[in-house]
Amino acid sequence: MSAPRERVAPATVKALSTAVARCDRSGHKVRIAGGETLAGMGFPAERVDLTIATAALNGVIANERADLVFAAKSGTPLADLSAMLAGQGQFVPFDAPHPQYATLGGTLAAGWLGPRRHCYGRLRDYVIGSTIVLADGTIARAGGMVVKNVTGYDMSRLYVGSFGTLGVLAQANLKTIPMPPQARLFLAALPERTRERACAQLAALAIRPAAAFLIDGFHHAIDGEEGAEGRVLALLEGSDATLERATLELRSALGRAGVPETSVLDAGAREAFARVVDAYVASLGERSVTYRLASLPDEAVRDGLRMHEIARSHELRGETIVDVMNGDAVLRVSDADSHAFGAKIEAFDEALHAALPRACVIAGNHPHRAALQVWGVAPEALERMRALKARFDPNRTLNPGRFVGGI
Amino acid sequence: MTLHERLIEALGRDAVKIAPEDLAVYAFDAYTESGTPSAVVLPASTRDVSAIVKIARDCGEPIVARGAGTGLCGGAVPMTGGIVLSFARMNRVLALDERNRRAHVQPGLINLDLSRHAAPSGLFYAPDPSSQKISTIGGNIATNAGGPHCLSYGTTGHHVLSLEVVDASGEVFATSVDDVGYDLTAALVGSEGTLGIVTAAWVRLTALPESVRVAVAAFDDVESASAAVSAIVAAGILPTALEMMDAVITKVVEAAFHAGYPADAAAVLLVENAGVDEDVRAAEAVIQSIAIKHGARSWRSAADAGEREALWAGRKGAAGATGRIAPNYYTQDVCVPRSKLPIALRAVGAAALANGITVGNVFHAGDGNLHPLLMYDKRDRRQVAAVVETGNAILQSAIDLGGTISGEHGIGWEKRDAMTRVYSTEDLAAMGRVRDVFDPARALNPEKIFPSGARCPEVVPP
Repeated sequence: MSAPRERVAPATVKALSTAVARCDRSGHKVRIAGGETLAGMGFPAERVDLTIATAALNGVIANERADLVFAAKSGTPLADLSAMLAGQGQFVPFDAPHPQYATLGGTLAAGWLGPRRHCYGRLRDYVIGSTIVLADGTIARAGGMVVKNVTGYDMSRLYVGSFGTLGVLAQANLKTIPMPPQARLFLAALPERTRERACAQLAALAIRPAAAFLIDGFHHAIDGEEGAEGRVLALLEGSDATLERATLELRSALGRAGVPETSVLDAGAREAFARVVDAYVASLGERSVTYRLASLPDEAVRDGLRMHEIARSHELRGETIVDVMNGDAVLRVSDADSHAFGAKIEAFDEALHAALPRACVIAGNHPHRAALQVWGVAPEALERMRALKARFDPNRTLNPGRFVGGI
Repeated sequence: MTLHERLIEALGRDAVKIAPEDLAVYAFDAYTESGTPSAVVLPASTRDVSAIVKIARDCGEPIVARGAGTGLCGGAVPMTGGIVLSFARMNRVLALDERNRRAHVQPGLINLDLSRHAAPSGLFYAPDPSSQKISTIGGNIATNAGGPHCLSYGTTGHHVLSLEVVDASGEVFATSVDDVGYDLTAALVGSEGTLGIVTAAWVRLTALPESVRVAVAAFDDVESASAAVSAIVAAGILPTALEMMDAVITKVVEAAFHAGYPADAAAVLLVENAGVDEDVRAAEAVIQSIAIKHGARSWRSAADAGEREALWAGRKGAAGATGRIAPNYYTQDVCVPRSKLPIALRAVGAAALANGITVGNVFHAGDGNLHPLLMYDKRDRRQVAAVVETGNAILQSAIDLGGTISGEHGIGWEKRDAMTRVYSTEDLAAMGRVRDVFDPARALNPEKIFPSGARCPEVVPP
């Protein structure tokens, strides 16, 4: 990929529209840049003539705190939004890595799936409206500022996860929910062979943790002592009463699974949780690639182990995070130096997809990333997706080649 | 072969209805206007649906998919004729995956039947439109149906995991929210049968809460009750459901159901909290104090499940109970920012008064989703005109308050021309691009959602 020569940062929707339309007419290819925290997702763009950054589209347009909704420009960092919401007792479960850099628009465009979604719903379910600039410069709005709206197609949700290939998000309107008053983090080392049982116990809890992970590796990046087969980390959220009961239930459930000792952390629990989310995309430069597999809760642990074994059989170091509640398995494979890594990664990628076709790349600066199956197996409806792309961006102006199937 | 012969050949005589009296039954949904279909078909499988769509395409017939026909905006009415495809025979739960909390269902499955089916596993299907005893999951998906409990659980779209769809050419395809690529599931939910015909779905199930408490607060005026709702939400409390009924509705509900509402109240709030018992009790106490601060003259918590269910039965049967006041009612559906509820209700009252129409309000107050019921007698043309006028004024007042023209019933035929009041030509053209991809010939539920006459402008690639 050639380095983009030019970069613009329009400060208004109108200026964004003008810049996009000009490129579309002149045949220039546009790379869209938010905070670039998820730049490790997707294929590298096949050509870039101009980078359009949303950095200058920064700020809250409306904060209707009594309605539990807000509207913000797409380049607004998530941390700014979360700080504003926390000040009024509200939150949105963005749960994206590096929220001080990650932008609202970039996080939505990447369709980021956070670990608390089983509990609070997907981030996309919070989007109640949007303004988007399409490839020909059209400024189109969808939805509004109300929490229930079935006025036409839910275009905002179609744009979420579209990786900027249908248009450039300029604004998003979201609903918020009340912030759970307390948070508590559970940490325990996992003795050998307790993984499956621990996972089953966690998933069956009456008061479900807001997030629960089985973690193997990621020393220093994630809290907790490493056990023989890693560690378990769970976030509880709610009232004091809920936390008290949930703590008892979680302790005894893990005890039944053979996890003897647990420690709890009240101060800094959410920060420790955020470090797990950061680790999803923690890259070792050119000597690591991180995969994510969306699985089912009752299959995720097994899938995580399988990914780990495939890494081992290719003599790559494997580190895993299994999101027990949603059924996601994250694997980072790495080697001591980029040369050794480069020699193994393509064969590993092939073996991984032979076993688990849906695994996607979410992080890593490997120079041959274009050779990996970064989106996993093509979805059944790929041809329909291509048709949508052709109808929205016929000249392939926006982020060409980055998305599924080279869209 | 004629259309009828081809359909009978493909599906069998028993699955094709062509007698005038049968066609007349499918000419309506719960909206007032009708359109007679050229045939009604009752497929038993996805393959049947696919065959029907292919025959329809060959014969140039549009297709209108239909669940239970409870839609209020004419979405299931074949306004320009064509084939009505009823899912009455595809109404089963195909699989219940207890551990992963999901179910695989056919579109004709009745909403409440799914919750009943899942109850022994400690699970339920959260979206609960008031029509849930008869409306179908497929119809709910088409309209992205809401319901009282959407306040905390979200609308239908938040509970759909994957779809099996027959497209406008009869091909079958699958979408899943876990798929990489564009979220076609999100595009299809709420598309009112204009992008494809859903033939199966995996939907999310939710754990039954360990504790549920329902309470009723009575107020001496609508204003105070709606101010209380705004204050509860502004205080950062989202109960599981927060419903309101005014005097007109409370009176008929009590007369019809003896549900336990104070029949002489000017407005009542129905408040449900669910979850961990301690939290439920704490939330109820806070809500009670806010209600009393805003002038609630009484507060009563349901003592047991029987009382809770009676209150809910009254609430969900409210629209039907208005038969005691007038032979017909028209339900408007608008959504406003929740802090604007008091103003919105005042506007509703003013519009009804100006047109001499009796209005009853029963609605999802916590979401700002209003349902004014306008009472009338359809034999009286002046009353019909007054209802149309009132409905329009309510739409406009919602738009003026920053709201929208449908919170949960959909656009269908009824509101398609009002779409231009909330969306620009460009906004609608973006939706039109999606339609172009899925249904270029406009054969699926034509003349719905999009404004009549003025077609969406073609976007010509440069």
